[in-house]
Amino acid sequence: MSTAGSVVRRASGGLGTWLRPVIRNRAGLIGLIGLVAFILLSFVGPLVVPLSTQTDLSKVYSPPSLQHPLGTDFQGRDIWAQVVHGGKEVLIIAFISGLISTAIAVALGSLSAVLGGLFDSFTMWVTDIWLTIPHFPVLAVIAAFVKLSDVWALAFILSLLAWPTLARAVRAQVLSLRQRDYVEAARALDLGTRHIVFSEILPNMMSYVAISLVFSMTSAIYAQVALVFLGLVPFATNNWGVMLSLAWTRGTIFYRGSLLNIMSPVLAIALFQLSLVWLTRSLEEVFNPRLRASA
Amino acid sequence: MESSYPAAERRDEVILRAEDLSVEYVVRRGVVRAVRGVSFELRRGEALALIGESGSGKTTLGLALVGLLPRTARVRQGHVIYRRQNGVYDVLSLSAGELRRFRWQECAMVFQSALNALNPVLRVADQFCDTARAHGNLDRAATYRRAQELLRLVQLDPDRVWRAFPHELSGGMRQRVLIALALLLDPQVIILDEPTTALDILTQRAVIDVLRQLRRQVDFSLIFISHDLSLAAELADRVATMYAGAIVEVSDVYEVFERPAHPYTRGLIRAVPTVTGDLRQLASIPGSPPDLVDILPGCKFAPRCPDADEACRTEEPQLVEVGPGHFAACHHWQKAGVSTL
Amino acid sequence: MATAARACAVPAGVLRSAWRLVRRVVSSFVVRRLAKALITILVVITATFFIIRLMPSNPIQVYIQEQISLYSMSYEDALAQASAMFAMRLDQPLFSQYLDYMRNLLHGDLGMSYRSVGTPVAQQIAKFLPWTLFSVGLSLLVSFALGMGLGMLTAYRRETLLDHVLSTLGSVLSSVPNYLVAMVLLVLLGVQWKVLPLAQMRGSHTAGIKPGFNLRFITDILFHAAMPIATYVLTTVGSWMLTMKSSTIATLEEDYVTVARARGLPDSRIMTAYVGRNASLPLFAQLAISVGFVVGGSMLIEAIFVYQGVGKLLIDSINQRDYPVMQAVFLIITVSVILANLLADVLYSRLDPRVRVTGGSEQ
Repeated sequence: MSTAGSVVRRASGGLGTWLRPVIRNRAGLIGLIGLVAFILLSFVGPLVVPLSTQTDLSKVYSPPSLQHPLGTDFQGRDIWAQVVHGGKEVLIIAFISGLISTAIAVALGSLSAVLGGLFDSFTMWVTDIWLTIPHFPVLAVIAAFVKLSDVWALAFILSLLAWPTLARAVRAQVLSLRQRDYVEAARALDLGTRHIVFSEILPNMMSYVAISLVFSMTSAIYAQVALVFLGLVPFATNNWGVMLSLAWTRGTIFYRGSLLNIMSPVLAIALFQLSLVWLTRSLEEVFNPRLRASA
Repeated sequence: MESSYPAAERRDEVILRAEDLSVEYVVRRGVVRAVRGVSFELRRGEALALIGESGSGKTTLGLALVGLLPRTARVRQGHVIYRRQNGVYDVLSLSAGELRRFRWQECAMVFQSALNALNPVLRVADQFCDTARAHGNLDRAATYRRAQELLRLVQLDPDRVWRAFPHELSGGMRQRVLIALALLLDPQVIILDEPTTALDILTQRAVIDVLRQLRRQVDFSLIFISHDLSLAAELADRVATMYAGAIVEVSDVYEVFERPAHPYTRGLIRAVPTVTGDLRQLASIPGSPPDLVDILPGCKFAPRCPDADEACRTEEPQLVEVGPGHFAACHHWQKAGVSTL
Repeated sequence: MATAARACAVPAGVLRSAWRLVRRVVSSFVVRRLAKALITILVVITATFFIIRLMPSNPIQVYIQEQISLYSMSYEDALAQASAMFAMRLDQPLFSQYLDYMRNLLHGDLGMSYRSVGTPVAQQIAKFLPWTLFSVGLSLLVSFALGMGLGMLTAYRRETLLDHVLSTLGSVLSSVPNYLVAMVLLVLLGVQWKVLPLAQMRGSHTAGIKPGFNLRFITDILFHAAMPIATYVLTTVGSWMLTMKSSTIATLEEDYVTVARARGLPDSRIMTAYVGRNASLPLFAQLAISVGFVVGGSMLIEAIFVYQGVGKLLIDSINQRDYPVMQAVFLIITVSVILANLLADVLYSRLDPRVRVTGGSEQ
């Protein structure tokens, strides 16, 4: 029986026990629904809703109608279609960036906690310095020098900025878990480091890791949309951030009739962020049976 | 704030009496009847020990005496009669303001785990002055003098402790500071809840010695709540054992140890090893305390009592006098000494 | 022999007490924090310097190439011009350039602006920095105080309608990116409902009003800073409130609160000195981190509201590729945040006596 398999099994433990705590926590349920809705919208939606890139100047800023549920933008293009198509890139970058930064953070954080000594001190010193530097200005300056048009490049840079905060938190968690009785017991039973890490420590950190992943996704979204909005990242496709940027630079904001043009991407991004944040509330319960029992 | 030793004729004066006190907690499963019809008296200058295991309701009883029950608890019935020079009143029917004045000034309750009983961001000095100020004593210098006196009484060095923060003191020191604080307003009654439980054995010794000395030097009545019967032997004048929310035996301390009438008390005594005397078998009491939500009729100790019979399981025994000033709630108390417990 | 020994004893005694004094100073929390801050600043300056020089499309090289290709300058002339521009002596070996750079920094020489020819960077920063400090600082104060108050309120009035409404609102506002909130405020208040005169609110102050501690000036700068401050406060108050709420709930369960009630202390005293002071400690601990975040977000907020602070300066300089300004502003922002962190940490150590002993919380 592989330890990885038992970890996954313990973590998911059957759909029933998995779904119940999510449903019980209202905010978490709304978050999950929102997340699923946005994933469907952004990945399945484009297959259903066609995106027209033709400008139709006769239809500039037209109000909502059956044809155009959210009206049209400054170029006469359908806003709803843009919203549907605009999420994919944002979500992908956020997810990749979140995955990378969480992976680095978990690896370095737990290594730091387990190895201790010089490695630990050095890592903590680096993250310490990192925490005091404001992230977005760094990102903006980097974007000025390095071409970030590639999805992977952007995700990578974003993850580099996020991992130190996570690593510190992971390290603190692992340190506290290391002291727990069941780890001591495992050590006394001489079950080996690999078993201790994978079967005792990691499963208890799963909720923490999941929550960290979601939070790093939210900061990735914040950062990438901001960069696109400021025009620091050249864009090819039409994603939510681009919609925002165009609306801003074309003066859409100051035109009364174009409320939907600016509010659609704003709402899309805001609602997605909200879904993610609220989802974390129930993620805690899913992985932490003690919280489940008391609810 | 002077202390005077009580005159001989006032020694039998009852200053605190609980009358048929019942307290229950509302929980999801139902209603936990934590204290069921408890009555006892506390006389001037005496030390009463309330002994029971966890879940016996002893802490709830203590909290009820000072009106500090949590919001989930309610007093179903009963009175806590308190006597002062100028009158007699029921603590449970005091208004919020009167209750606030009653607390600490008339009756001070010192909780277990004094480790976290003091505000970590305030110095000991401030905590003393806070207490004094809350009861109308605004003279900081007078408070300081009195506190110094008390700190010396509890074997602490005032200069070391006065300006310290709680985390700078050890657990035992904090417990003693709390005892000194309890004496600050010269209360008539002090209730100690598990005063030595969280401490190591040497510190326990120190605290017990301090308490014993205090009883000789300062006039107050003491109720202390514990699971430790040996503590009762050291400090108490009278002992009351509690089980499942009711008092099952009450008597003076010598009687309780020499002629325990209730099987539970007997079990408790036999569970504590003695340093002197014969080497005998340590016997623990089998079983566990009863569920206080679904209460079964009859004597609550019956499931764990080797002498229980049908009468025990149907009718709950009341406290009956089994000797001078000695009460026990058992149908078969005459079998004392014959049981196999 | 004996006299020699005695002669040695005197300086030895002096040395010992001097050493004790040194040890006390070094172990003082404030001193150690100060040292850490200075080292961090040093590291940041050094890293910025070397990274800028060693990067592939290194701005200095780019600038030199530009000068050569656009203005047909010789390499030496271009180098000289670049040296003046970046406040560095580019013909020297890298390490001595570094030392020169540090020396210039200490003198307040941050180089010359590339786009606004002839303007020293330090001058530009001096013009823009106060506005950011003002808006960010005021927002932090308001948001912190408001969050603390609302947090305690919702904790004491738990599970009531007020609690649910405030908590949900707080949660929503703190999850949405702050620049989006800024845009919504702009669009709704300024454009759709025409509540605010946006055009007049641009900029940090109205020209013509004499700066000073007079009412007219103060109302004017508050008028201009209102929108940025509103955005900062709205997006940060939620998290302060929720943190304070959970902290207060936890503190209310603490033994010393029950004992305080048992001591007959009045509720007002318990709420302030016993619950409030202890529950607010985590907030002060977070203060340091949030400063960095707000300053970072100020770039976007200032761009949206056209508020002339260093954030907007940074963005403009990035868009114009004005490297000296970029580098200097980045440095100033970072140094400000580090110093603010230091202040916040020292403040925390004053508030929590337990920290002073251990010399800092290891987290």
